[in-house]
Amino acid sequence: MGEQAPARPGRYSPGLPRLVPGTYAAVVLKLPPFVYLAPASLEEALSLHADHEDESRVLAGGQSLIPLLALRLARPEYLVDLSRIGELEGISEEDGAVCIGAMTSELALEHSHLIAERLPLLPQALSFIGHPAIRSRGTLGGSLAHGDPAAELPAVALVLGAQLVAESRDRGRRTIAARDFFLGPFTTALQGDEILTEIRIPWQAPGTGSCFHEVARRLGDFAMVGVAAVARVEQGMIRSCRVALTGVADRAVLRTDGELGLTGESAGSFDAAARRLAEELNPPADLHGSAPYRRHLVRTLVPRVLERACQAAAAGAIS
Amino acid sequence: MIAGRPPAERYTGSSVRRTEDLRLLTGRGRYVADIQVPGLLHCAFNRSPHAHARVLRVQTDVARRAPGVVAVFDGWQMAKLASAAGGMMELMGETNLPSFSLLATDKVRLVGDPVAMVVAETRAIAEDAAELIEVEYEELPAVMTAAQARDGSLPPIFEDLGSNVLFGPDQKVFGEVDRVFAEADRIVKARIAQHRHQNVPMEGRAILATFDQATGELVAHAATQGVNTSRQIIAAQLGMPLEKVRVLAFDIGGSFGLKFGASREEVACCAASRELLRPVRWIEDRLENLTVSGQAREESFDVEAAVTNEGEILGMRVEMVIDSGAYPGFAPGIISTIQEMIPGPYRMRALSFTASGVITNKATYVAYRGPWASETFVRERLIDLVAAELGLDPFEVRLRNLAERGQPPLRMVTGPSLAGLTAKESLLRMGEIFNFEEFRRHQAAMRAQGRYLGVGVATYIEPAPGPRPETPPTELEWARASLGEDGVVSVFTAQMPHGQSHQTTMAQIAADQFGVDFEQVRVVVGDTDQVPEGFGTGGSRFASMAGGAALHVSRQLRSQVLELAAQILDVSPATIDIRAGEVVGDGVPDGRLPLSELVKLARAAAAEGRIPQGTETSLEASFGFDGGQGGWSGGTHCCVVEVDPETGRVRVDRYMVVEDCGEVINPAVVEGQIRGGVAQGIGAVLLERSAYDEWGQYLSSSFMDYLLPTTTDVPNIEIEHLQTIPLDQDVNFRGVGEGGMIVAPPTICNAIADAIAPSGAVVLEQHLPPTRILELMGIIPQPA
Ligand SMILES: Cc1cc2nc3c(=O)[nH]c(=O)nc-3n(C[C@H](O)[C@H](O)[C@H](O)COP(=O)(O)OP(=O)(O)OC[C@H]3O[C@@H](n4cnc5c(N)ncnc54)[C@H](O)[C@@H]3O)c2cc1C
Repeated sequence: MGEQAPARPGRYSPGLPRLVPGTYAAVVLKLPPFVYLAPASLEEALSLHADHEDESRVLAGGQSLIPLLALRLARPEYLVDLSRIGELEGISEEDGAVCIGAMTSELALEHSHLIAERLPLLPQALSFIGHPAIRSRGTLGGSLAHGDPAAELPAVALVLGAQLVAESRDRGRRTIAARDFFLGPFTTALQGDEILTEIRIPWQAPGTGSCFHEVARRLGDFAMVGVAAVARVEQGMIRSCRVALTGVADRAVLRTDGELGLTGESAGSFDAAARRLAEELNPPADLHGSAPYRRHLVRTLVPRVLERACQAAAAGAIS
Repeated sequence: MIAGRPPAERYTGSSVRRTEDLRLLTGRGRYVADIQVPGLLHCAFNRSPHAHARVLRVQTDVARRAPGVVAVFDGWQMAKLASAAGGMMELMGETNLPSFSLLATDKVRLVGDPVAMVVAETRAIAEDAAELIEVEYEELPAVMTAAQARDGSLPPIFEDLGSNVLFGPDQKVFGEVDRVFAEADRIVKARIAQHRHQNVPMEGRAILATFDQATGELVAHAATQGVNTSRQIIAAQLGMPLEKVRVLAFDIGGSFGLKFGASREEVACCAASRELLRPVRWIEDRLENLTVSGQAREESFDVEAAVTNEGEILGMRVEMVIDSGAYPGFAPGIISTIQEMIPGPYRMRALSFTASGVITNKATYVAYRGPWASETFVRERLIDLVAAELGLDPFEVRLRNLAERGQPPLRMVTGPSLAGLTAKESLLRMGEIFNFEEFRRHQAAMRAQGRYLGVGVATYIEPAPGPRPETPPTELEWARASLGEDGVVSVFTAQMPHGQSHQTTMAQIAADQFGVDFEQVRVVVGDTDQVPEGFGTGGSRFASMAGGAALHVSRQLRSQVLELAAQILDVSPATIDIRAGEVVGDGVPDGRLPLSELVKLARAAAAEGRIPQGTETSLEASFGFDGGQGGWSGGTHCCVVEVDPETGRVRVDRYMVVEDCGEVINPAVVEGQIRGGVAQGIGAVLLERSAYDEWGQYLSSSFMDYLLPTTTDVPNIEIEHLQTIPLDQDVNFRGVGEGGMIVAPPTICNAIADAIAPSGAVVLEQHLPPTRILELMGIIPQPA
């Protein structure tokens, strides 16, 4: 791959305990016992993962999986750590798309010049994920495979029309469109023996503008509602636009201009579309926000984000 | 130079760098988890998944057989080793206590209640084995609200108490309540809610217990606010003589009221060590800490204020209900302080105060920084409601009602003298620092642009230690001081610093009073074999009580040392002095004698019988201080907020403090205490809530759900110290640990209420997350 992700400080220190590959890890405080496997190649990883299909989980940055293990909400028998597989990290370009290795860290993406140029929406959204320390370990593949209904990156993948490459030992490689990838809360189209290896995202075309914004309880918290938008504007009219939302359903949600009733509308009157969208969604309630609150955020955030996307488009920049 | 008169103060009053900083800021602090002991065992608890259930069967054999497991105790086995009777509440004189055990025997009473304890070679093994324990339960309906506790429809949580009402309603009347209500032009009524939230120290509860078979002594390294208190409880619950228990404490990762005495799990840990004859450690994890360590402040208040049209508050009627949670806790003990303090620094003539307490299937009510703080919240919110009702400015209403300093001093209607009160000065000074008129103009201009800005003010006083002699101290605070042959003055205190910088501030006082360099004072804490009696750190007790004890004991030791030096050197005590660690003055050989040399000379002289009868030859002194003339801490806080009507988020734009904590020992330490308290107040209002669902499942059991303020949520806090009114000849330091947390919540709530008032919102609660703000503003529907 072209641009290499900056070297990360030892993945195992501090935070994750240093594990000896192949050992039974009852020595690890908090986590339930599991066998730790650390393959050096993708081929080996696919094989180990397939061998133990239902009992195995792959470990990427661990920022979601390790807390799940610590709370004993997940109990895999085998943990296949992908962090020694260099071929899964990196950022390159091919056929008008940016190709990102699944193990590329969120922080590496945030600081990549290539990403800034081709996919300016991505760093904007990344800055809302946790804190730099978390982003330095968390990976793009991990976030997408995790499928958190309040995460930022699934919405970005949807709105930018990402293609996700999954591989398995027995069935080889397949490509899944982001639209078909997120199936429900923490549930994706990945099969038990598959590993997400690469994410291909088409360049944001010149003439389009994009924006991501969210409302969370504190800086770095998961979004109560997050909105990603990409728009193309011609002579003050919307030629096309896509909006993806996070935090509003059991998974990230995508709406295109047709569904939003915005095609051919003037770039500036989004309130009605936002109201319709808010009504048709049935957002969840939790300690951080009631369902009516989230609906209200949809009404207020969608127009704001669309306006900024249109302004960016009109400014000719693609930011 | 007159012996006995302290030299000029060099340290007291200045921001001396903290002694604690080097070790704490470089990660070299020593917490219970850092202690290395050979043969150490670790424990983990199996805990109840139910809020309320009968325990039918506890099966521990699979866990017991797991490799690396040393022992498993269920409730009955543990009950044979130690009792839960003789705990903190008995120590505090509470009666009407139910019987229960360290680990559940018959029943579990909250989610997370400990049911069985696994002791193993590693913590990981203990945790894995704790999951292998199978418990059969018969679920009972959970009592989750005060209404459910009071209506008697649900089974009692403690059978022997017979009901879920813990006490009350108990009424106390001060002044002529009916009369002032009859005289009043208006009566302003409100039901005000104080939500449940909690301490959340960085280090949870922790203990390492080592029973020594040879000596029959148990040594416990504990995370505690007072080693003596922990010792008393451990000894009582293990049935050991006090002298056979030693409690040690090193650095403590915060507490805020949580770590007093010894909790059920901690005592179980001691019992296990005695039984297994090996050291046993328990470090509470975050899930345990958030779920079961204890929670604070769930109270509701029905209040009425009798007011005149001019805004004079004549009196109040208050009915409060406190939710004590499951096991005996701090709730009954705090009522009398809430009752006494609710008039605050205001001139009201009558008060009727009725309190009752209930038991619910939630975490036990514990003390949390300013445990009685709801009196300030309720009163300061009510004052703003009165102002709104009368169309007056809340600042003006406060000003009209604040008590003046008089001779003889005014008294609160509940009794205490208001001698030395500076509440009015603090409010007036705030009016100079912050231009309210200009703000009102700005606010109106912003409002016209659709923006919601608000300002809030709150004023309070805190008995730290309170006026004397009306409120005699619960106990004297002792300090012992000694001069060692290294020339170092050691000061021993039962105070147990857990973030308050006592080792710095006490050394500042002692160094000045004794006449040595700051570096030449050692403050000894955290060892029951060494420290004097005293319950420990709490109730803003340090500054006046322990600071005063240190002041007096250092002076006493200084006189003793000077007298001894005079004898040895054969000079008049009046001609010599102690300065910078040396005896100086006429007749001293070479004009100066280092203290270390003096100690050697004194030892030799004593051995040779050269010290005349009547000379105090001991290089040690002890002093028990009653608080002297005491006095109030207090002040006024003011903040400016902006509420975003699109998101319901609140931004604190400016936060100002005018405070009086008496003579300031160390400004940096005082300001740190205030800032920390204000940060917790911001957390309480905007972020922190200990939430349960209706079945008693705890919803705030991780930091994803229990949100603490971070640096991005806390603004710069501007602090000004007011000129204090000294009441005592010697000791005018007053406690400051709790005040920030007492007055910040009403300050912030008042500002938010002011900001959203144009929408018709009335704020009657303390917790105001974004959803609630938009509900109050009528922007989104309220829950049914
Ligand atoms: C304090 C904190 C705050 C956070 N805040 C946010 C936030 O605001 N927004 C947000 O989106 N996230 C947040 N996160 C989560 C963070 O972004 C995670 O890193 C990310 O969601 C998962 O990435 P990971 O590489 O850590 O994956 P891991 O935790 O290692 O794995 C997550 C899941 O994905 C699976 N998986 C990982 N990689 C692959 C792969 N290549 N193929 C197949 N399956 C795979 C794992 O088996 C596991 O089930 C936060 C985390 C923390 C600790």
